[in-house]
Amino acid sequence: MAAADSPSAALRRRDLCSRGIRLAGKMRSDVVDLLDTYVERQGLDASASVAAVEGVPVAAAERWDEQTGTQRLLENLAAYRAFRALLAQMLEEQREQLGEADAALGRALAAVLLQVSAFTYHLEELLRLESRGPPSEEGAGPPPLPHLGLFERKLRGLGVLRELAQWAVRSARDLRQLAKPGPGSGSAPSLAESP
Amino acid sequence: MFSGWNWVAHGLYLLLNICSLEVSGGLVQSCGHIIPESPVLALGSNFTALCILNESCLDFGNIYANQIIWKIKNRVVPKEQYREINRTVSSVTFNDTSSLATPLTCNILADGQIEQNIYGITVTVGLPPEKPKNLSCIVHQVSKLTYPMTCTWNPGRHTFLDTHFRLKYRWPQENFPDCIPKDVNNSCTITDVQFFVNLEIWVEAANALGKAESDPLVLDPIEIVKPLSPHNLSVNSGILPTVLKISWENRISAAVMKLKFNIRYRIISDTNWMQVPPEDTASPRTSFSVQGLRPYTEYVFSIRCMKEDGVGYWSDWSEEKTGVTTEDKPSKGPPIWRIIDASCSPASWTVHLMWKALEPFEANGVILQYEVTVRAKSSLSSPPEKYNVNTTNLTLKLPNGTYEVTVIAHNRVGASSPSVLLIPASNSKAPVKNVRTLPKDGKLWVGWTAPNSYVLKYVIEWCLVSNSSDCIMEWQNEPGNVQGTYLKGDIKPFKCYLITVYPLYADGQGSGQSVKAYLQQDRPSKGPTVQTKKVGKAEAVLTWNHLTVDEQNGFIRSYTIFYKTVDGNETAVTVDPSKTEYTLSSLTSDTLYTVRMMASTDEGGRSGPDFTFTTQKFGKGEIEAIVVPVCLAFLLIVLLGVLFCFNKRDLIKKHIWPVVPDPSKSNIAQWSPQVPAKHNFSSKEQMYPEGSFTDVSVVEIEADDKKSFSEQDLKPFDLLKKEKSTSEGHSSGIGGSSCMSSPRQSVSDSDEGETTQNTSSTVQYSTVVLNGYRDQTPVQVFSRSESTQPLLDSEERSEDRAGGGDSATQRQQYFKQSGDQDETNADRPCFERAKQIIPANEGDLVGFAQLQISDQSSQLLGLGLEKNTQEAALSDILQANTEEQTVRPETVEGSPLSVDEMPKSYLPQTVRQGGYMPQ
Repeated sequence: MAAADSPSAALRRRDLCSRGIRLAGKMRSDVVDLLDTYVERQGLDASASVAAVEGVPVAAAERWDEQTGTQRLLENLAAYRAFRALLAQMLEEQREQLGEADAALGRALAAVLLQVSAFTYHLEELLRLESRGPPSEEGAGPPPLPHLGLFERKLRGLGVLRELAQWAVRSARDLRQLAKPGPGSGSAPSLAESP
Repeated sequence: MFSGWNWVAHGLYLLLNICSLEVSGGLVQSCGHIIPESPVLALGSNFTALCILNESCLDFGNIYANQIIWKIKNRVVPKEQYREINRTVSSVTFNDTSSLATPLTCNILADGQIEQNIYGITVTVGLPPEKPKNLSCIVHQVSKLTYPMTCTWNPGRHTFLDTHFRLKYRWPQENFPDCIPKDVNNSCTITDVQFFVNLEIWVEAANALGKAESDPLVLDPIEIVKPLSPHNLSVNSGILPTVLKISWENRISAAVMKLKFNIRYRIISDTNWMQVPPEDTASPRTSFSVQGLRPYTEYVFSIRCMKEDGVGYWSDWSEEKTGVTTEDKPSKGPPIWRIIDASCSPASWTVHLMWKALEPFEANGVILQYEVTVRAKSSLSSPPEKYNVNTTNLTLKLPNGTYEVTVIAHNRVGASSPSVLLIPASNSKAPVKNVRTLPKDGKLWVGWTAPNSYVLKYVIEWCLVSNSSDCIMEWQNEPGNVQGTYLKGDIKPFKCYLITVYPLYADGQGSGQSVKAYLQQDRPSKGPTVQTKKVGKAEAVLTWNHLTVDEQNGFIRSYTIFYKTVDGNETAVTVDPSKTEYTLSSLTSDTLYTVRMMASTDEGGRSGPDFTFTTQKFGKGEIEAIVVPVCLAFLLIVLLGVLFCFNKRDLIKKHIWPVVPDPSKSNIAQWSPQVPAKHNFSSKEQMYPEGSFTDVSVVEIEADDKKSFSEQDLKPFDLLKKEKSTSEGHSSGIGGSSCMSSPRQSVSDSDEGETTQNTSSTVQYSTVVLNGYRDQTPVQVFSRSESTQPLLDSEERSEDRAGGGDSATQRQQYFKQSGDQDETNADRPCFERAKQIIPANEGDLVGFAQLQISDQSSQLLGLGLEKNTQEAALSDILQANTEEQTVRPETVEGSPLSVDEMPKSYLPQTVRQGGYMPQ
């Protein structure tokens, strides 16, 4: 926390939070647009319900307001690292499936992938400012994906994008929470505070 | 023999080597090579090349390094740059690679004469890349989701080498593929960038001589975005006539960036944009209401945007969209003015009311009609007259008086405030002063000095003054607090405008003050045509007409007259422009002059046609001064000649008309033989010495005694009388004046105290007819002849020789015979009066004698030729007689003597002593 005490570190943190929030907003906006494109190009129904996909982190948190900043950052980082892997796989599958025929979808997927990657960088930087440092990706990576059929892959992709859109919203709120000045924003809540 | 074949073989081998170098490129082993092989060298650096000969060649051809010749293209490199390292290696060194060229060849002199090429290399000279500078990037939004980033930089100097530039960028945790420029070396576009993460950007330049990198640029691409401008603009008129609401769509997501806006607008007919205050549009929005607009006006709107915090670039201006505000009631009444025509009737005016259509920003809508109200000020009780018209003028016939005219403009929304014009009976108020004009910025400015009283407003009238068209009046209103304005109209250059300024007061108006002005002056379009009105010896009066207004093109400041002789210098005279006549003086007489005239404005002058005239040879009166004296002199000479001839008439007669005695009239009885004995005069002077008339003998003969003489005796006296009459008639015939004057003098003389002797019976006679005897012998030599036969020539000559008296007789006879005219003359009343008067002078014989003399002398005196041959006494009498002649001119007529009363005969006698005796 020592680093967070310095003015430059605080400034840096605020800047990272601010830009992270906006990046999350843009990411959500782009993912929403991508969802429309994806549903259209993949021939899916926009109202199709997708069951929980294995390996896809869930944005919903039961006690979200009780999380510490670091917890938030760690959960976000884990989620986005998972999204990064999932999106990269989707991009590869999309290229294998459609080739260069649907470049727009591929570019949109690549753009979202880049944003996820950028947000991951933001989270890692924030964790560094928390004097914690980002955890290694070795164990945080998603589990190896099972072999799925084409339609299942499409549905999984739809589920990934939808969950990413949810995470974008949550991440923005998390970062706003982190950006708020005040004690304990970065520290873990005491057990007493826990429900 | 072997040696000879060896040399031949060596030569063939060498030739094959050379051929193999150029053709096969190494199929056959060459005799040597150069190190380095095709180097790339930095410009300006030094360079050393080595030519290494193969050992095999040494054995065949005795070729050694000291025989090597280096060449650049076909130019031999100086041997100072060579260095023989050993027997097979030669080096060449260049201190500056700029002197290098391709190819650099290593050659050898075979057999000391034949130059053979061993090897050659290509040398490339260039520069290492400079560090790229001024790297800058911008993100152009091309669609809602596409944000390509274009970076530009300064690539630095030309390297002369193939230099590759790469735009590199990366996130801290991730590298991206390089952006490689296409066809250019100073910019590259990254197709898509992600925002909100710092991107490190730099440029790498590399060629064969090195590599250089620019300073890195670290930025978040969101900070360098030039967004797409808002689109789908729409403009809606609101409830208020001064408000328009514009709406638009943004093409960049609010999640990407929040925007601020600039809104500009203009009236569609105007080119200048107005802008909504930026602070009013500094927040994200998609609509805005623009206020403070003019009613019923079409506006054009445009909008642009940029990142809310001002970091980045403004978008381009959006497409333009127009909208019209709603109508409002006219903001003011129309300007009104009038023309009063009082020429129709003395008791009434024809008033032409005229007003100007309101400007669009004043009308605030479509003017439907004008309401004109005319109220007579003198009779406030009478109701005002109202007129509704659609045009902008109204002509009324009004009785003389003062009226108040109001005009109200109506549109769909409402009515304007009334415009009031007072039409006074007379313009009796104070006028403006010092009206002046000034062309400025292509317009004509009119200024004036305001009168002391408060002026409600001013009316400026103006019209174009032209010969070809009437003065069509234009006008404009100006508020009362200004003292100058620009004329609002199509003011043309080179045209004369008559501008009049009227001050309008609350209770009347002042008289107009006028001034003429030009927006721009030019030279006159033609010059005046000059001609002469009068030409004298040394002066000429020139006259011309003024140029017409259309020809002047400006204010005529002066006329300049240029005149010159054929070979003389031109003289210029400047004349006041108000004049149309000028007198050139000091001209040379009898000389051809060419004159032209130039009219000048402020911008220059133009000359009229040349006009020539010739001055006169003589001045006014010179001819008269010459001719009159000449004529007078001629007359004088003629007169003198006449006088001379008159004086010498006897002599002339003698020579021209010699006296031929008439033998039939000869009479010996008239002779007086005593006279020659008694007087022996040789000349007239001797006979009649002047001043000796005192011894004139007077013979008084009683009329009754006449009868006592026989007719025979009296005959000589008749003859003598005739001679005398002839003599007198002759005298009278020549000198008419003596005929007219002498008898009267005689009469007058006889009237004064001589009445006792002035009787019909008393005849006083004297032979004082000097003229008749001057050049002839005296009468005393007359001899009377009874013979009726003509004289023989001998006798006549003898008589001539005997004495001058014959000549007198002859002369008398001659007159008698040849001169019917003389007789006629003698019968004239003049002569008759002389004969009548002669007896009346019997009482004053002396006076009569003097009179006879003075008749001649007076003529001489009258001509100024003082022939003073008379005595002083005679002069006195002459004076007296002259006076009496003038005093009593009617004396003769009062007592004329009838012919019957004339003495019937005379006794011829001489006045000379013993010269003539009665017989």
